[in-house]
Amino acid sequence: MNNLLDDYALASPLRHHNNWLKLIIVAFGLLVGVSSSSPVTPLFITLSMGFATVFFGKIPLTFYLKLVLLPLGFAAVGSVVILFFFGTGCEVFSLEILGYRLVANAGGVEMAILIVSRTVSGMSCVFFLALSTPMIELFAVVKRLGIPDSVIELAMLMYRYIFLFLDVAMSIKYAQTTRLGYTSFRRSVYSIVMLASTLFIRSWEQGEKLYIAMDSRCYDGKFTVFESRRPIRTPEAVLASVYVILAIVLLRFTGNIGII
Amino acid sequence: MTIIETRDLRYTYPDGTAAVDGINIAVDESARVAFVGKNGSGKSTLFLLLNGTLKPGQGEVLFHGSRFGYDSKSLREIRSKVGIVFQNSDDQLFAPTVKQDVAFGPTNLGLSERKVESSVDHALEYVGLSHYMGKPPHHLSGGEKKRVAIAGVIAMEPEVIILDEPLSNLDPVGADEIMDMLGELNHLGTTIIISTHDVDLAYGWSDYVYILCGGRIIGEGTPDQVFSDSRLLRTAGLRQPTTLEIYHEIARRGLADGERVPKNVPELVDTLKPTDLMWVSVPPATREGDTLNLGMMYGDYAHNCPYEAVNATVLHIHTDGQAIVEMGRKGMRAGCIMIYDMGGYDPGEFRRIMADYEIDVVGAMGGKSKRIAERDNVRLDVVSGVIDKAILMVLSGKRCLILTSGGMVGHAVERIDEYAETSGIAINVGVIGARGE
Repeated sequence: MNNLLDDYALASPLRHHNNWLKLIIVAFGLLVGVSSSSPVTPLFITLSMGFATVFFGKIPLTFYLKLVLLPLGFAAVGSVVILFFFGTGCEVFSLEILGYRLVANAGGVEMAILIVSRTVSGMSCVFFLALSTPMIELFAVVKRLGIPDSVIELAMLMYRYIFLFLDVAMSIKYAQTTRLGYTSFRRSVYSIVMLASTLFIRSWEQGEKLYIAMDSRCYDGKFTVFESRRPIRTPEAVLASVYVILAIVLLRFTGNIGII
Repeated sequence: MTIIETRDLRYTYPDGTAAVDGINIAVDESARVAFVGKNGSGKSTLFLLLNGTLKPGQGEVLFHGSRFGYDSKSLREIRSKVGIVFQNSDDQLFAPTVKQDVAFGPTNLGLSERKVESSVDHALEYVGLSHYMGKPPHHLSGGEKKRVAIAGVIAMEPEVIILDEPLSNLDPVGADEIMDMLGELNHLGTTIIISTHDVDLAYGWSDYVYILCGGRIIGEGTPDQVFSDSRLLRTAGLRQPTTLEIYHEIARRGLADGERVPKNVPELVDTLKPTDLMWVSVPPATREGDTLNLGMMYGDYAHNCPYEAVNATVLHIHTDGQAIVEMGRKGMRAGCIMIYDMGGYDPGEFRRIMADYEIDVVGAMGGKSKRIAERDNVRLDVVSGVIDKAILMVLSGKRCLILTSGGMVGHAVERIDEYAETSGIAINVGVIGARGE
């Protein structure tokens, strides 16, 4: 159960830093990464974000690498297509498969690298946010951003009940497994259907209990969202500015520099 | 003064089950009331009726003598005065963080943000979970969830707190802590109503008991009245509390002494007649009728025995060198209970007291004292049922220190004095520390 990104975020020391600062860093990284036309800046962002997540956020390196590897796999598959079917320029290398000759030219290689680097930089930014800022910290932020209260309240209730139902689903699954519910494909399908329908009924009942619970504490349409006061400290500000300036400088000067 | 009352209360579920079938109760202010009954006896339904969640089919519920109104304004009023803690904490904790959950009630009462914050801080400190404020509920243990649920209700400062099976799924120490906390709340004036099928809990903790069966009250009264009625218990599907059962058994064998039915272990111990006869090993030359000086029995002959047999008269000598002796004994070292007011806690003074008074056992009562003790690495021997255990320790000659604060100091002294009065055993009790002296 302890493998949810949210659990890592809750334990992360970065949790207790200013949420807005983290959000700005992430938004900046995403925008710069995507708008860069050379792979240098996205790679710089990837390294910085990765370093921040692992070093400042105390996320285990192996876990982080596995996490990054997942989207990287998708990006790699996509870039293979780009590598062989897009771009112009001189031939870099070629492959022969079943009599077809696939040619990768300079433009294609360039583009593939750019796509992969952009993807990774974007993912590293998102992972930085996900692993340093638990959902419960973000509610106050989205409230400030002017999202309607009822949407936030619903989101908060959903957040809470995800874990509750996850627990229920897990225990049903265990109960089914111990009684050999997943020994064959047919049975697995049958068991999973049963699990889903039970979960549906449970959530329905839970809804009614929730209503009573809220009512007996005088629910009047108010749900507090506390915004924790965490001023941005000087070292954080300095570090963030250095990062931003470096990224902008890189973006400005690497321009169209390609790797090849 | 009656705070909450029902008259011929009836409630039938849509499927035709009469869950509550003509119930009349009257709960006094600052009482501790237990509703005892087996599963499905209508306890939970009754509780939902008592805070206006369900509207009775017939009959009425009165709060401070006036009938419940079922319009939304009166319901809000009732629900802010009658707090309810559900059996399953997960049903009650719906906010993403502990702090938000506790703040839910006060916010909806329309308090200002500052006041909400202060009542949340106070409630969480009271249950001893201030440091868990930012945690999501799914990271808490069962006992912690229960305490957060109670904090959520305390934060609204209700006059009555109703708890449906407060101890289900809790470990013994966690359960004791919850009950101590409820005792403290009750001592400060809150009326506490619990439902349970744990007869030991109902017997030892409450001061008035209702027995429910099939949606009706089939018995009510003080715990010893109700639980001594074995026919009533059989009908209700309950059994006798262990303390009472042991007492009845030893009384039947003529081993118990005393007019009062014991409610807890110290009182039970107190009913035991002291044994005057004992087997001891005697030197070969001893004859019947001799007087032996056994010296200190403590440690040498009988472990855990606080007595010193000054003189023992030999009544009968057995063949294997063992003899039955009759003893004139007296307490070797009088135990005492010291109560230290943590309100004026000072580490230096505390250490001095520990050394000066040769304290054997340290117990802490109340969240605040436990937190201070934890912070300063004070080794606590007892953290639950502290007063009872301290009395037992004193009876066996130990010197106890109870750490507590505020109104609980007076409460502890009262409880111990009350025991001394009913048992006729003088117990040295004193309040020490900066505030006490």
